[in-house]
Amino acid sequence: MPLTGTRDLTAIAGSAPLLTSLDTDPWELKGAQHLQLHYELGGDRQALLPPALHPSIPPTLLVNVTHVPDSEVGAFNLATVRVGCRAGARPRGLLVRGYCDSAAATSVLRERWGYPIDLADVWFKPGYARAATSVTVDGEVVLEGELVDPQPITGADVQYMASLNLARVSRDGEEKALLLQVDPDFTFERAQRGRPRLKVFDAEAWNLPGASAAHPISASLTTVDITLPSLRYLVHPERDPLGAVERLPQPQPA
Amino acid sequence: MKFGVFFEISVPRPWGPETEYTVYQNCLEQARLADELGFDQAWAVEHHFLEEYSHCSAPEIFLTAIAMQTKNLRVGHGIVTCVPELNNPIRSAERAAVLDLVSGGRLEFGTGRSATWTELGGFGANPDETKKTWDEYVRVIPKMWTQERFSHQGRAFSMPERTILPKPYQKPHPPMWVAVTSVGTEIDAAERGLGSLGLSFGGVGEQAQKIEGYRKRIQSCDPVGEFVNEQVNTVSFLYCHEDDEKGVKTGQRMAGTFNYLSEQTLATRQAFPTPSYLSPGLLYQLRQESTSGPEGKVPQGLTIGDPHRVAEAVRSWEAAGVDRINFLLNVHETVPQEDVLASMRLFAKEVMPQFAQTDAAPEPAGATAAGGA
Repeated sequence: MPLTGTRDLTAIAGSAPLLTSLDTDPWELKGAQHLQLHYELGGDRQALLPPALHPSIPPTLLVNVTHVPDSEVGAFNLATVRVGCRAGARPRGLLVRGYCDSAAATSVLRERWGYPIDLADVWFKPGYARAATSVTVDGEVVLEGELVDPQPITGADVQYMASLNLARVSRDGEEKALLLQVDPDFTFERAQRGRPRLKVFDAEAWNLPGASAAHPISASLTTVDITLPSLRYLVHPERDPLGAVERLPQPQPA
Repeated sequence: MKFGVFFEISVPRPWGPETEYTVYQNCLEQARLADELGFDQAWAVEHHFLEEYSHCSAPEIFLTAIAMQTKNLRVGHGIVTCVPELNNPIRSAERAAVLDLVSGGRLEFGTGRSATWTELGGFGANPDETKKTWDEYVRVIPKMWTQERFSHQGRAFSMPERTILPKPYQKPHPPMWVAVTSVGTEIDAAERGLGSLGLSFGGVGEQAQKIEGYRKRIQSCDPVGEFVNEQVNTVSFLYCHEDDEKGVKTGQRMAGTFNYLSEQTLATRQAFPTPSYLSPGLLYQLRQESTSGPEGKVPQGLTIGDPHRVAEAVRSWEAAGVDRINFLLNVHETVPQEDVLASMRLFAKEVMPQFAQTDAAPEPAGATAAGGA
């Protein structure tokens, strides 16, 4: 059996969103710009993951920043830092903390998809020569990075990992820390690949103590229509990987 | 139809002081038995850093050990990674020639380029370049083997004129292959006159289409070597047992374990967006058809079960146009060694003779051991 995580997520679940229903409709976010900085992860590969997840070989750190120019709650920027891992045999990114610059979007993302995010200043400037981003929390810069040397590729070359969002879920009178799988659909309009450059990464601010961006892999910048889906799966973080995934009941077609 | 064995050398955790030693010794014992039972060939992968999935990072040494412990078994690189950061092409040609010499002309030379960021990133290789460097390697290595003096000015490497030594025992040189996993690589193989070394487990229907395209295209190839190696090799799991249910269950456990382990690695495409890797890689393709067919049935071509079922699976490959099948005999030591050996013996006794007279595999024109028949 491959290595599994050792982290007890209940210790950090207190600030995670509380969902009383897992029944949500898809949300289409058109014309988004999405930056990903992909690194090999430094630090204890098992200490950042719960027992339900395997560290990938090698484990990775995924910095994702999305600018949504318009939505039912207006424009917003969302920043997450995830740990690339495996739920059973499936590639996933564990998200235990992120930030958004819109209170309304933060509420929607927390309440409907369990994004463990808080309000902060998320700055994102895509450009042709570089794409830069920073996240500032209570006056402290907790992330600053950029894509450099972009070159055009196609959207077909890009593969994003689904997220496992740490959330508290109330079911049958019981509240429990669970990981909600969010596997958006992406329709790419434009894509570029470059090199990642991470200037500031405060691991504690992302609830990833000891994590570091050890070795750069790639960076990508895409213009993309994103559809956040209905929730279909969740993961019980404390379980063995082979028994951790729960398929949620899906609404029957009329 | 010819049969071979295929070694990934997967090593389960926990890794004690004896674990890797035991797995390697088990594999060598399997190779010796394969030789005794009349299997034709043994192949070994080249993988690096793929924890538990494959600890076969120095296949040239492992294959040499096999060659020294067997009489007839041909030894195959499945594959040599043709990427400069992993293997210098001159050293690859030299090592292969030595292996061919010490084995008495039993080398099969498979080529490829790696499918994982785990490996390419570990060596600092650029995934954008691997298809190009592979192409350069397969064109220059046969020249290194056959030309007394060789020089090269290329993209992957350059060298002034030297005599690359020694030369292989097989003349003009050992048969050359390319690992076929990504869609379209079978055409790359055909265009260059190389053998198709299929490495995606299961999937007879899909491979039949690839083989048809390969056979058609190779008729008008421009061979990179001194001869055309028109042969199609595939790989499957083998677990043969008198009790069909036990054979199927054990075989499916092997296949499932293999896929689970392979998915833990980081496919190039998952980490590094590039048009050079169109499909998610070897690992994704393995999962598709290898572990379960429709309604939980054994997929066509998966050589597990009792001898009758295994023979039927072999026939499906034969009908698809495959010349050779190589069997993965164990995964992660999920099957006790004695059971692995018993499975091999039962296959050799009950299944192999059924295909002894239907040797449809065309021999590569021109590849003969210098001192042999």
